[in-house]
Amino acid sequence: MPSMKGLTELATPFATMTSDLGPDVPWLNSLRLKALARFNSQGLPSKKEEDWKYTSLWAMSQQEFTHQASASAVTTEQCDELALLTDNYRVVIVDGRFSAELSQLDNLQAGLSINALSDEQGLAIAQPHLGQQIDMTKAGFNALNTLLMSDGVVITVDSDVKVDKPIELLVINTGETASLATHLRNVIVMADNSQATVIEHYVGLSDAASLTNVVSEAVLSSHAELNQYKLQQESANATHIATLSAKQGSKSQWATNNISLGAKLARNDIHTQLLGEQSHVIMDGLYLVNDEQHVDNHTRIDHTVPNTTSEELYKGVLDDNSHAVFNGKVIVHKDAQKTDANQQNQNLLISRGCEIDTKPEMEIYADDVKCAHGSTVGQINEDQLFFLRARGLDEVSARSLLTYAFAVDVLNRIPSEEIRQALSTVIETRLPQGGI
Amino acid sequence: MLEIKNLHASVDGKEILRGINLTVNAGEVHAIMGPNGAGKSTLSNVLAGRDGYEITQGEVIYKDENLLDLEAEERAQRGVFLAFQYPVEIPGVSNIYLLKAALNAVRKHQGLDDLDAIDFLTLVRSKLDLVKMDEEFLHRGVNEGFSGGEKKRNEILQMALLEPSLAILDETDSGLDIDALKTVSEGVNALRSDDRSIVMITHYQRLLDYIVPDFVHVLSDGQIVKSGDKELAKELEKTGYSWINDDA
Repeated sequence: MPSMKGLTELATPFATMTSDLGPDVPWLNSLRLKALARFNSQGLPSKKEEDWKYTSLWAMSQQEFTHQASASAVTTEQCDELALLTDNYRVVIVDGRFSAELSQLDNLQAGLSINALSDEQGLAIAQPHLGQQIDMTKAGFNALNTLLMSDGVVITVDSDVKVDKPIELLVINTGETASLATHLRNVIVMADNSQATVIEHYVGLSDAASLTNVVSEAVLSSHAELNQYKLQQESANATHIATLSAKQGSKSQWATNNISLGAKLARNDIHTQLLGEQSHVIMDGLYLVNDEQHVDNHTRIDHTVPNTTSEELYKGVLDDNSHAVFNGKVIVHKDAQKTDANQQNQNLLISRGCEIDTKPEMEIYADDVKCAHGSTVGQINEDQLFFLRARGLDEVSARSLLTYAFAVDVLNRIPSEEIRQALSTVIETRLPQGGI
Repeated sequence: MLEIKNLHASVDGKEILRGINLTVNAGEVHAIMGPNGAGKSTLSNVLAGRDGYEITQGEVIYKDENLLDLEAEERAQRGVFLAFQYPVEIPGVSNIYLLKAALNAVRKHQGLDDLDAIDFLTLVRSKLDLVKMDEEFLHRGVNEGFSGGEKKRNEILQMALLEPSLAILDETDSGLDIDALKTVSEGVNALRSDDRSIVMITHYQRLLDYIVPDFVHVLSDGQIVKSGDKELAKELEKTGYSWINDDA
């Protein structure tokens, strides 16, 4: 893989850019230097690596990126329109920079803290957790992110605190700076018996060929419950690379839902380690792609101790010449008896030109476990289609309705009616025929 | 209302319907009976506009239009209703959504505005009683997890709501126990009217005890070989279908 222009230029002494990378603190600089060495030695992943077999970064690697965003004028009204939810704690990041003016973080509930990574307090809170949930030896993007991370959100929830409103992280790429690359790092720390819902929401306002490289790390102590949803609506020419990684203590529950609608190239690596007994993870997701879009979801669940459970449902709708990759790995380690794991990937192909490469994988080293996995690839059901037409729905509406019904199924495990409704509306307007 | 003239239809090059002639006037109830493989389901599918059938000869006139020129949805919008032998399950689409979309498609064709939510719900509730269905069914996925009887009642609910001019009931009695058969039949009988025609396709005479037809036709090997009144059905019940080919 050729090195990335614009990105690797930063491999040159980065002391000059520390001002852009937030506080100049020794421990962080040393972390960055390690990341630099790591990135220089491994570079970006290539298709020769199994995990990147179906996803080419060639086009991206030819692109010149900048890390200097010019000023942009996003208004509160715009944020209101873009936000998924109205009644929320809102963290707004514009072109890679936290915006205190646009964020709505007044009157935070006691026991909840929300800070930008770029401020000293946020960084101090993040310090013990940074890099603890991710593997820098894999995928050069994590090293690159660590080298260049400039902002993000740091959230902590104290013991026994149930956060009363969803926290929406609204990440806006305005496109006002051509080929802007942003490297965001989010850290969420959930203390014992705490509860929160966080929505990472990525929006592109133009057709700019931006790059978002984000790493989110979550730590769940025992009995903690974190719903971490993601809605990706980047611009049609954008590249979106994301790592979402957690470590879970006993009786904790991490529920993710990863909805990928935008970007020309989107890659998600989602990983949890179930480290405490009776911990539970839900990993659901939807990719709805058309034109020449490429989306690649790699998920991994490590059952490391006895009595842990996982449920995973990824669904895909592919139209035109789009390409989707699903690789789901469930690893049941040798001590993880009584693991209960279920993983499904289901795909609906709308056109002849699309391609899905799906690979559900289970590696089981324990002998008393209940594990199921499967993958399906299908088309619109002709009997259902005829039934709807025989009730007067025209063919286009009938196809849209069936596609919608297939897709919204992934929202079923979201307990909040409000969030389910908001997401189903977004999915509806994104249907191949533009609504039902 | 409906005039079928010398209708020939094939599936994969095999001729299934071999010259059907049938006239159904407004307000009449016709039963079409016949053994397995006679072409009963092909006839209902061809009338409703399912893909996969090649019409090689003949025509079907419905309300002065050639029905065969219309897409399935255009037929439905003009008042042709097929009650399915095997109603499909559509998880993810709620029953109430389907009912609303179907009704609004018909109303749009009639130049009417969509019903608002309250008027629609009032209307649907009034129809639920007819087929003894609980309101809870409205919020479940279309036929999802329904029993055989519930699926058929759901078909009649759709028919009651859409008020078709021509209803084709394809083996509506199949898979029903006697109580469900009574409920479904009562629903259909309540929908009989001078301006609505019903074509019932059935293998068994049993249904005709509950929905008494004006005419009975025997379909065999793609043709109507005998027509009569309800007494013909009773005769069939006694003698079975074996005499047909001898007689013809």
